[in-house]
Amino acid sequence: MADDSDEGKNQSRGPHDASRRRFLKGVGIAGAGAALADQLLIEAQAQDTKPKDVRTLSGNVDVTLNVNGQRRKAKVEPRTTLLSALRDHLEPAVTGPKLVCDMGTCGACTVLLDGKSAYSCLVLAVDATARQITTVEGLGGPDAMNAVQTAFVDKDALMCGFCTPGFVTTISAYLKKNPNPSLDQVREACKGNFCRCGTYPRVFEAALAAAKSVNRES
Amino acid sequence: MQQAPPKKKKVRVPRVVNGVETMVEIEVDDVGGPSWGPNDKHTLLNHHLRRVDGPLKVSGVAEYTYDKRLSGMLHGRVLGSPHAHARVIKVDTTAAGRIPGVKAVVSITDKPVQPAAAATGVEKPAEPKGTFVHFAGEPVAAVAADTPEIAQDAIQAIKVEYEVLPHVVRADEALKETSPKVYPDGNLKPRDSQGYATRVAAAWDKCDVIIEAEYRTPIIHHASLETHGHVVDFRGGDTATVYASTQGTFTIPGDAAKELGLKESDVTAIVEHMGGGFGSKFGIGIEGQLACRLAKQAKAPVKLMLTRRDEFLLAGNRSGSWQKFKAGATKDGTLVALQALQYQLGGLSDGSQAGQPYIYRVTNSYRERFAVFTHEDSSRAMRAPGHPQASYAIECLMEDLADKLGMDPLEFRKKNLRDKVYHRQLDRGAREIGWDRRSKPAGGAAGPFKRGIGCAVGTWGGGGNNQCKVDVTISRDGSVVVAVGTQDLGTGTRTYTRAIVAEELGLQPKDIIEKIGSSALGSANASGGSTTSASLAPSVKNGAYKARIAVAEKVALLLGGVKPEEIKFADGNVSGGGKSLSWKQACAALPAAGVTAQGLWQVELSATGVHGVCFAEVEVDVETGRVRPLKMVHVQDIGLPLNRLAVESQINGGMIQSLGMALWEERVMDARLGIQLNPGFGDYKLPGTAEMPELVAIIDDDDKREAVIGVGEPAIIPSVGALANAVFNAIGIRVHDLPITPDKILMALTNRRATT
Amino acid sequence: MKAFEWANPTTLVEAVQLLKSAPAGGDVDEAARPMAGGQDLLTTMKDYSTRPSRVVNLKNIRGLDTIQANAKSGLNIGALVTLSQLEEHAGVRAGFPGLAEAAHSIATPQIRNLGTVGGNLCQRPRCWYYRLEEVICLKKGGTECYAAKGENKYNAILGGGPSYIVHPSDLAPMLMALGASVSVVGADGKRVIPLDKFFTLPSENIRRENVLRNDEIITHIQVPASPIAARSTYLKFKERESMDFAMAAVAAALQLGPNNQVAQARLVLGGVAPIPWRAPQAEAFLLGKTLSNEVLEQAANLALAGAQPLEKNGYKVPLTKTLVRRALATAGAL
Repeated sequence: MADDSDEGKNQSRGPHDASRRRFLKGVGIAGAGAALADQLLIEAQAQDTKPKDVRTLSGNVDVTLNVNGQRRKAKVEPRTTLLSALRDHLEPAVTGPKLVCDMGTCGACTVLLDGKSAYSCLVLAVDATARQITTVEGLGGPDAMNAVQTAFVDKDALMCGFCTPGFVTTISAYLKKNPNPSLDQVREACKGNFCRCGTYPRVFEAALAAAKSVNRES
Repeated sequence: MQQAPPKKKKVRVPRVVNGVETMVEIEVDDVGGPSWGPNDKHTLLNHHLRRVDGPLKVSGVAEYTYDKRLSGMLHGRVLGSPHAHARVIKVDTTAAGRIPGVKAVVSITDKPVQPAAAATGVEKPAEPKGTFVHFAGEPVAAVAADTPEIAQDAIQAIKVEYEVLPHVVRADEALKETSPKVYPDGNLKPRDSQGYATRVAAAWDKCDVIIEAEYRTPIIHHASLETHGHVVDFRGGDTATVYASTQGTFTIPGDAAKELGLKESDVTAIVEHMGGGFGSKFGIGIEGQLACRLAKQAKAPVKLMLTRRDEFLLAGNRSGSWQKFKAGATKDGTLVALQALQYQLGGLSDGSQAGQPYIYRVTNSYRERFAVFTHEDSSRAMRAPGHPQASYAIECLMEDLADKLGMDPLEFRKKNLRDKVYHRQLDRGAREIGWDRRSKPAGGAAGPFKRGIGCAVGTWGGGGNNQCKVDVTISRDGSVVVAVGTQDLGTGTRTYTRAIVAEELGLQPKDIIEKIGSSALGSANASGGSTTSASLAPSVKNGAYKARIAVAEKVALLLGGVKPEEIKFADGNVSGGGKSLSWKQACAALPAAGVTAQGLWQVELSATGVHGVCFAEVEVDVETGRVRPLKMVHVQDIGLPLNRLAVESQINGGMIQSLGMALWEERVMDARLGIQLNPGFGDYKLPGTAEMPELVAIIDDDDKREAVIGVGEPAIIPSVGALANAVFNAIGIRVHDLPITPDKILMALTNRRATT
Repeated sequence: MKAFEWANPTTLVEAVQLLKSAPAGGDVDEAARPMAGGQDLLTTMKDYSTRPSRVVNLKNIRGLDTIQANAKSGLNIGALVTLSQLEEHAGVRAGFPGLAEAAHSIATPQIRNLGTVGGNLCQRPRCWYYRLEEVICLKKGGTECYAAKGENKYNAILGGGPSYIVHPSDLAPMLMALGASVSVVGADGKRVIPLDKFFTLPSENIRRENVLRNDEIITHIQVPASPIAARSTYLKFKERESMDFAMAAVAAALQLGPNNQVAQARLVLGGVAPIPWRAPQAEAFLLGKTLSNEVLEQAANLALAGAQPLEKNGYKVPLTKTLVRRALATAGAL
């Protein structure tokens, strides 16, 4: 059995100290799954060859976020979402991703983390420091739009425009993965983005048109 | 030339207050002025124009109120009541105020706030001294802090003591004698009645079929993606700037000035871009009042945008409806008698509902309308207030009657619709959807996946008024600026404003700079009742025309002295008398100050009154209850379409919002707790990409009116009924309340099996 | 969201220590929480139903983010494997189609890109009463399940009482049907828990949905190689297809004998009970049968035999029966 009080006092221990052995005590063998977990634990120990402190953060913390290829510093709290860090804490702000539901239910805050779409309202800023963050601003500016942005304007795939950055970001990432999608695949890819004005049919048109134009160019 | 004083004429126009349209008579100058000309002769208008703010919006550069960041700006949050009805005994903000970073705390016990909408003509609750809340979510306090996180902590730290009072949030309950009274006079307020009950009573005998039915629609939320809110830039001093997510630039300064203790003229409202309103955003509302108070207290700019949860709870909604009918027709399909009892379910306010029998001609009809009050947030105008509810109910009734008569519902409708435009549009829509494929009888298709087709019709007024003043300035370098304080809700106002000026001057939209969204610019009406384009476009046209004539007068000599009216402005050239100047050359002839003209509204350039039909096809899986919309077609007359691309988008938007109302959306209240259970996009289910049917938006070009009419509202009206009727046609059972969700379909089918 | 300390262990041992040693460790809603993708945890923290003083980030712990597929031993899925990884994994798609389907049915692409397998199993309830900050229901330490007599359209028809939540996980029913187990480490060491024994009913423990203790972390999910895996399918019914939790769902896995008679059957219902709900009677009934319409119908009736609907969720009975029939038919045809 682990010794609680002992553990609480000292979080930085080498792999071979007594508490760890205690920790490993009582491991039973219960089939293949247990053996795998066992192996993992041993692997984890083997990698942890140097004793080191566990990094903990609380209160106000300085983070550096890699946003659209730039290293950007901000003061946040551990609870600050990436979305809020971009919009409320970075100076100047990055406001392309919109705060709409703040619960991962609408897609307006979609950004790319290492190229994959994610809701920035459901990511902590402190948890995004090692990621390449791409917002809609990083995909193209008004004078240098990417194919998806151009198609959105051409097809009138936006009205009030509040959901638009999320859609553009989602679709831009998706077309990289699937450059020649069907209409149904576009719908599927955009399931996590919601619009209230009712731009969907033209969003689909724009996504398909953008795919075509990219394929033509390449 | 001698200037005669302009003749005056009286016209009746719609005016919108808080999104609610009323007709007023105004006097306008009878000055003649330009006409639009035939709809098919335009070079830019009535074409597919790209949205001029598109590039800004698709790249995240467009700055909305929510995006505003000012130096020293604080973040505001609102604390709402968890009780539907309570006396606020004490709001203790001490702990909140002590949190480092909290810069202002205000409470309604210090000073009450004015609700954005309220019931009319009822005595307000005559409750004894004290402060009361009348719906769950009603704000009791607000804070402003350095960061949103700290503001949230402060909200958590506020302690409120309530005396909880009895509440009622269900219409059925509210009508009972024993129910808690929302207003001293009770929960039922007569609104109006029309027709003759005695004649209807006498007419039942003449009917071959009679049905009795009731239909209900729940409370629906606007769900604008940008929540309500403001950035109030007031740091003490004599002036303030208020950035607002609003449908009425000019509805902001007066409200804000009152709170800030300033003159209205010292407050400027800015609405550069806004993320949707759909009728809910007029005036500064409770959240704006609180933002102003926080800014005043902190002497610092405050951004207070409602959280999504608060947006659901306190930012208005479309009133629910409960409509009871008895109706009868003769064998040949003639509507003979109709009696309707209409309840408008607007929470603390009246709600809205178009009167029955809506657009149908019924020989003998009688209807009564009542508001039923509950302890719920006041409804507000929402895209065609009262019409989707009324259209849905009467269209279900028509379908049910036709079904009982064994008559084609399309023929039944035509028989009882006087206006031939409907006949034209119904024929067009029927062709497009493939009405012949419709299942006869309803529910007759084999297998678990049953298809059905339905249709419905609507009507809207629209029209414009004379509230817009548009300044068109042409400079010597050829630049053209059109300026007016109006707002673009995403409807494309910026784009057509540019296009009208460009077309008048023979230029392209890119050659024009539009300045809108500021109360420092020329006045404009609020965007409600689909009156924006019909008010603004004529004024822009009038201004552009005057500016054109002013330029023509200056270049007439260069063109050999031709008459200014005969000078042609086309393809970037100014020509006459066999000579041609480029636009730049022509403008070089202007005086140093350029020319400026102010455009005023011309009634002849706008019109009012539209129709609109919708057809829908669905597939219902009768073993799961899933309704899959397959196709929707909407045919809409709107006079001169300023920008076909934007008009089609708006029609699509109307169909999609209807789809949500028909199949998924509803505010769910817990009767006992008096609270909303689904104040978020997880549980309040907007349709998404997977729900989209094929959408066909058809502009009815057989409407030859050379006049502008708004399209925002008509586009949402008939589609709810069309979808409900398509479901009926598919399964042969009427689901009498919206939304038509799988549980209702399965239970309806189960009950039918049990009874047959 | 309440402020918290963010801890970044790089080993499981550290992670467990951090969970164990955090203050206010007793109450499940106040205890330190492990975070993987955070796609559910952050939403519960935003509505204050979870208020940890410390959040222990698991993503810097190596070795938990891969899928090992082996013809003999089956799948060993790291708890940090994302739902996207799972649904796109060739070995999973080929050998465990139902698992790929279940993963694909979850939420939205964005959530699947970050959400993890371990996190999916440990989701908190979606009941709207539970998710409202101002409602302290039975599951949050209050005195009443408001759904029992309230708006219970989405609540349980099986296994309910005193709370009527439904378990929101889509992976759980499928993994259970596939006979999976989870490996867990905690301060008391490691244990391997068959999924059949992982989830707990409200009647057993009102505050939790599974047997994990506050200091325990799922490290891996093992799915044994089994003849039923190839004929596995997950059928989820969502009220709104774009993004929704299950109104009802069925995980089915079959082994068919030489004459197409059922040699093995596993049937687990989702979205209808506080835990993924095995249907043992239906499973037993199916043995030796060939899948005819009548057999499917009877299996469906048996699976729902114990259903006790509340006022507004009676529809879940016919709905789930349909899904059982269809899922079995699909599994049989694979």
